[in-house]
Amino acid sequence: MHTEVIRKLQEIMGKDGVVADETQLLVYECDALSVFKHRPDAVVFARNAKQVSEVIKVANQYSIPFLPRGSGTGLSGGAMAAEGGIIIEMQRMNKILSIDVENRTAVVQPGVVNLHITQATAPLGLYYAPDPSSQMACSIGGNVAENAGGPHCLKYGMTTNHILEIEAVLPDGEIIRLGNSAGEAVGLDLLGAVVGSEGTFAIVTEIVVRLLPKPPGVKTLLAAFHSVEACSQTVSDVISAGIMPAALEFMDDKAIEAVEASVYKAGYPRDARAALLIEVDGFREGLEETSDAIVEICRKNQAYEVRVAKNDQERAQLWLGRKGAFGAMGRISPDMVVMDAVIPRTQLPGVLTEIYRIADRYGLAVANVFHAGDGNLHPLILFDSRRQEQVDKILDMGGDIMKVCVAAGGALSGEHGIGIEKKEFMDLVFNDVDLDVMMQVKNVFNPRGLLNPSKIFPTRRSCTEIGKGSTTNTEEIGKRVEAVLLRGNGDR
Amino acid sequence: MTVDGISPGRIVSPESLDELSGLIASEKGAIVPVGAGTHLEFGNPLQSADCVVSLARLNRITTYNPAELTIHVEAGVTLDQIQQALSANNQTLPLDPWNGGSATIGGIAAANAQGPLRATGSIRDWIIGMTVVHVDGKRSKTGGRVVKNVTGYDLAKLYTGSLGSLAIIAEISFKLRPRFEKTATAIARFGSVADAVAALSGVRKGTLQPIACEFVGPEHEIWLRFGEHPRAVEMQLAQLPSASWKVHEGAEEVAAWERLRAAYAAMGPIVLRVVGKPTDVPGIIDAYDPESWIAHGMNGIVLMALGDVQSAEAVRRKFPAIVERAPREIRKRLGVFGVEGSVKRLMLDMKRTYDPERRLNPGRHIDGE
Repeated sequence: MHTEVIRKLQEIMGKDGVVADETQLLVYECDALSVFKHRPDAVVFARNAKQVSEVIKVANQYSIPFLPRGSGTGLSGGAMAAEGGIIIEMQRMNKILSIDVENRTAVVQPGVVNLHITQATAPLGLYYAPDPSSQMACSIGGNVAENAGGPHCLKYGMTTNHILEIEAVLPDGEIIRLGNSAGEAVGLDLLGAVVGSEGTFAIVTEIVVRLLPKPPGVKTLLAAFHSVEACSQTVSDVISAGIMPAALEFMDDKAIEAVEASVYKAGYPRDARAALLIEVDGFREGLEETSDAIVEICRKNQAYEVRVAKNDQERAQLWLGRKGAFGAMGRISPDMVVMDAVIPRTQLPGVLTEIYRIADRYGLAVANVFHAGDGNLHPLILFDSRRQEQVDKILDMGGDIMKVCVAAGGALSGEHGIGIEKKEFMDLVFNDVDLDVMMQVKNVFNPRGLLNPSKIFPTRRSCTEIGKGSTTNTEEIGKRVEAVLLRGNGDR
Repeated sequence: MTVDGISPGRIVSPESLDELSGLIASEKGAIVPVGAGTHLEFGNPLQSADCVVSLARLNRITTYNPAELTIHVEAGVTLDQIQQALSANNQTLPLDPWNGGSATIGGIAAANAQGPLRATGSIRDWIIGMTVVHVDGKRSKTGGRVVKNVTGYDLAKLYTGSLGSLAIIAEISFKLRPRFEKTATAIARFGSVADAVAALSGVRKGTLQPIACEFVGPEHEIWLRFGEHPRAVEMQLAQLPSASWKVHEGAEEVAAWERLRAAYAAMGPIVLRVVGKPTDVPGIIDAYDPESWIAHGMNGIVLMALGDVQSAEAVRRKFPAIVERAPREIRKRLGVFGVEGSVKRLMLDMKRTYDPERRLNPGRHIDGE
């Protein structure tokens, strides 16, 4: 990057606020989707919205791409500098500015770690509901950009349902506020459009989140099954029975094997073909009956063991394995691909059978750990990156799984986002008109295309973005997307 | 028929999505989508109506699979029709717009019409996908049919509340929830605003979780509705702040809320939807002295009846406020949304992008666009 640009960035940020050294920049060449890499030309560490705005103005002056980055835990490449340029790092903006107990809101900066909001508000009897599995590390700003999910979204909704107001910097450097204290749309719901726009509409610099009162009662249980079909039928039966669990998580034998061999060992029944982790919460009154009803549904579907946690410790133990499942995969496989498709939940038995069949056909193992209650699959394709013949199959195998999910009425991503990872698959679910309309809306916010380019839209399309700056790397990235489509590492 | 005082050139009633697309593609004048006609006077004054497009005959429930807890409907289906289909399976779409369930679901979404049931979010929180028809007749979709989805931009948020000024909502997919096992409503009258808000404050800081919480004036009544497992409802009723509560259940509860609905309908001549914090509610009522009001105790939104434009302008200087209902001239003078600055610029850009010739519901949008 031109030294004049670096000098201007240093004037805004101070010397310790800019990194432009090639070696140091290596850290920022990818997010948690480590297979797609592109080094930024500079990283700036923002302390306030004004700095973000000034950096953006410099970027505009020189037509340099720029993008925000929180904790870098994203699994779709949203925080990867696909065309180089400036990464605006938000981790120094990590303060909880205020907590309003009576109005049940908190004002936070984007670099605040998701779990820290709940930790700060728990003594007041409140919590922040969306809980991505990376919640110990991921930033709330990143959650807003990606519309992050988590196990408890089943009952409580995604990030978008819990954001009331934001301050954001538009791609021309203007600082705006969207939403209000009630999250009520006045005119168009621009806030709703920005949440989940994967950092392509604006850079969020302050967030007002809704807090919920901590549920007085919670029941967590584990049910083990000898067949995948019985296990997934139980999911449908629970939902059909009019029960809305707080979480309803599925693990198959491969996942259980990995967990039990790891530090996340939770005492899951090792001979189970599949198991469900089910949680219900709310007032204590009636909770026991709901829990009993779930046990009965499990038994009716031939669950051979149903374990109800008797206390907080047992409950934490049951969750330990589920939350650590992705990390535990290293015990049974050197590498893995995390997928994030979503299907109508009644299609679970058929789609899972098909996924195992596809894995057999390709001769690769697959583990399934996912949010069954809302049909959000996370097939983990297990492979060894040192064996080229395995690597070669992953593209087709991942593609086949994705197609099965879409054919079942599903979608490409339930919570990880499209980013760079799944953009070439967008044609599977959207036609040209759908994508044209999305592109038009993007151009209203981001007319020069400098903010986070080469994301979400298929490569052939991003070359025609209106008024776009450099496209030099787009083709190269497109080729790599095709070549190594779904390889990556997840922490969920 | 007239729409917001304008007599339409012609009225068409397509029976299929293809027919709707074809009609829109061939129309060169101002297009005004209508549903059941329950919200025709909402929004900035309509300027012209060459062709009114009634969606009333697009009234099919396309797919409803109870085990999926989702429903996919055409925009002309009424909320009542949806609830009737759902109730057979003990499920519900937790919406109860003030103007009633005879409104079409497309109209409720386009107007972002709300009611007292707010504890579980508003319509935006239940929509999982949409198909819209654009001004050139082309159709596009956003979202999908699954309950959790981040595939592409969430444009349904933009269409919800856009008053048909960006595109015409043709189909909507919703997620659903199990029906509230039991509901009950407790109503008590207080001596003053101060007494009532002290009780409300107790509710917000305590353990109760009402699914509706209204502070109604000038009677100084608090309406708390609970919906849970029967024993959780009983427990909450037993923990109400001290006052002489009257508890309504069953048909009596339904009748009570119909009375409040009637009170809402009678508010006027100017009704504002003021957005404050819950703790702002007493201050808003004291400062602007509305003739009547219905305040959502849990989210700080106050519906208030004012007698003159000056009072409404005074509110706007301190709080965001939508003109919920008012005669045409007053809506014109006040502007229904009162949005300013760069947010307004973005909204106007959005309108120009979707409808450069200003032919979709002309006048309704921000700033009379």
